[in-house]
Amino acid sequence: MEVKEQLRNVTAPADHLIGGRMPAKPLNKAAIVTRLTLYTLAVLTIYAFFSFDYKELDFMDALLGTFANLKTIFLEPHLKHFSFGHALYQVMVTLGLAFLTTLFGAIIAILFGLLAAENLSSKKTSMVIKSLVAFIRAVPTVLWVLIFAVAAGLGSTAAVIGMTFHSIGYLIKAYSESFEEMDRGVIEALQASGANWWQIVFQAVIPSSITYMISWTFLRFEINFAVAVAMGAAAGAGGIGYDMFMASSFYLDMREIGAITYFILAVAIILEIFAAKIKRKLKTA
Amino acid sequence: MKALLEVNHLTKQFGKDSKALTDVSFSVQEGEFVSIIGPSGAGKSTLLRCINRMIDATGGDIRFQDSQVMNLKKKELKQVRTKIGMIFQHYNLVNRLSVIENTLHGKLGTKSTLAGVLGLYSKEEKQQAVQILNVLGLNEMIYKRADQLSGGQKQRVGIARALIQNPRMLLCDEPIASLDPNSAKVIMDHLKKVSTTMGITVVVNLHQVDVAIKYSDRIIGINKGQVVYNGSAKGLTSEDIQRIYGSEADDLIFDIGGIHAG
Repeated sequence: MEVKEQLRNVTAPADHLIGGRMPAKPLNKAAIVTRLTLYTLAVLTIYAFFSFDYKELDFMDALLGTFANLKTIFLEPHLKHFSFGHALYQVMVTLGLAFLTTLFGAIIAILFGLLAAENLSSKKTSMVIKSLVAFIRAVPTVLWVLIFAVAAGLGSTAAVIGMTFHSIGYLIKAYSESFEEMDRGVIEALQASGANWWQIVFQAVIPSSITYMISWTFLRFEINFAVAVAMGAAAGAGGIGYDMFMASSFYLDMREIGAITYFILAVAIILEIFAAKIKRKLKTA
Repeated sequence: MKALLEVNHLTKQFGKDSKALTDVSFSVQEGEFVSIIGPSGAGKSTLLRCINRMIDATGGDIRFQDSQVMNLKKKELKQVRTKIGMIFQHYNLVNRLSVIENTLHGKLGTKSTLAGVLGLYSKEEKQQAVQILNVLGLNEMIYKRADQLSGGQKQRVGIARALIQNPRMLLCDEPIASLDPNSAKVIMDHLKKVSTTMGITVVVNLHQVDVAIKYSDRIIGINKGQVVYNGSAKGLTSEDIQRIYGSEADDLIFDIGGIHAG
């Protein structure tokens, strides 16, 4: 009986699929787990909305209030407590903070990135550095700034050290992975001609991965700009972030917040355009 | 005459019991053109890399000129490597750099670390690079980026990089395996010219038996990590090929009588 069944399956293996539903994706363990996770999340979300403490808040009122606030912030911006020139100067301070921490981070990360790349150092060194770096990256930048603030006091020093620290961790990972992408044969060729480690690094490894390195560094610069704004507010590191903090918590001036937001937005867009230009140039060069 | 390179009882073991080379012995005279042939996985590449210690052999000894290669310290090994040029199947050039920069890389071994790092080359070195590139027919390409070249041109840059070392010997690992027949012929002609006019010893790993017979003075046949033939190219018989390639010999696509006749 069973044998007959099997025989039929062998002769027409796709028969049972043609009649019934034919799933495009087989239902395996991974698919089931994904589906269960999504269902659980959906149920939890719905439950959350019912269990919030709404404090007799009228939804429509709140929505209209929010829109009114947004309108004041974005459609009626003004500068009251400082001039346009001052704001520009403060934006430069924030950019400076981002630039300095990216530069420090990049220089230190090149050295450790080389040591963390498996093809350029030993497996052991690479693993030690990579796990240390994974730990550094796991702790958010803001937390590093606050940790260093214990020793340096809340302010620009703690911000520079903390942001540099996290940038180093980020860039070591990015750089070492770019180095590892490199063709093993090129290194072998230079080794075979008697070149030493430093010569190989500067003559073959860095020229081969320079495009990746620059685009990763620029990405980190953009991240550091955003973090620098936040640090101005949270850690008293100065710059436009501090003015935003004053406008919101001290003067309660929503229009000024709007003006500052536009400033930051403008800088972010300029950075983005600049980054796109650099990348295009690197690709064709 | 004393041999330039002498390999004695060389063995190489990967892991516990996979032997890549077993008791390999041969010697190469000054100015000789030697081909190493054998089926894939016979240990040709491993053998070549043991000679300049890109791979450390497990046992035996290797003498190059007056140095015992196996006992060299790091610094002395680099010195020996500057006298041995190496050419690869996949060219192994730095794609983003120009032809002349890639050629000058061959000089790094003789330079100070700082000069090498900064890429500072003397006028004589640059002139020599241009001269070598001229000989190889790349004079138009000097400032082109390596990734803009064709395969055959890339391999010629590879040869230029090896020649600028002023080497006594060239090790070529399947130099024509990724090239079309035309470019392959150009490369082999250049290698032959290097050997006859400059007196540089050439040791080359080859897949193509007909090419090996045509160009080399001597052929070393390897099968399963052992030397099974070591003699003149003219003396290679179909029985020898049978021994080198084992059961695969019948599948080889050429006629040995025809080659010797040609």
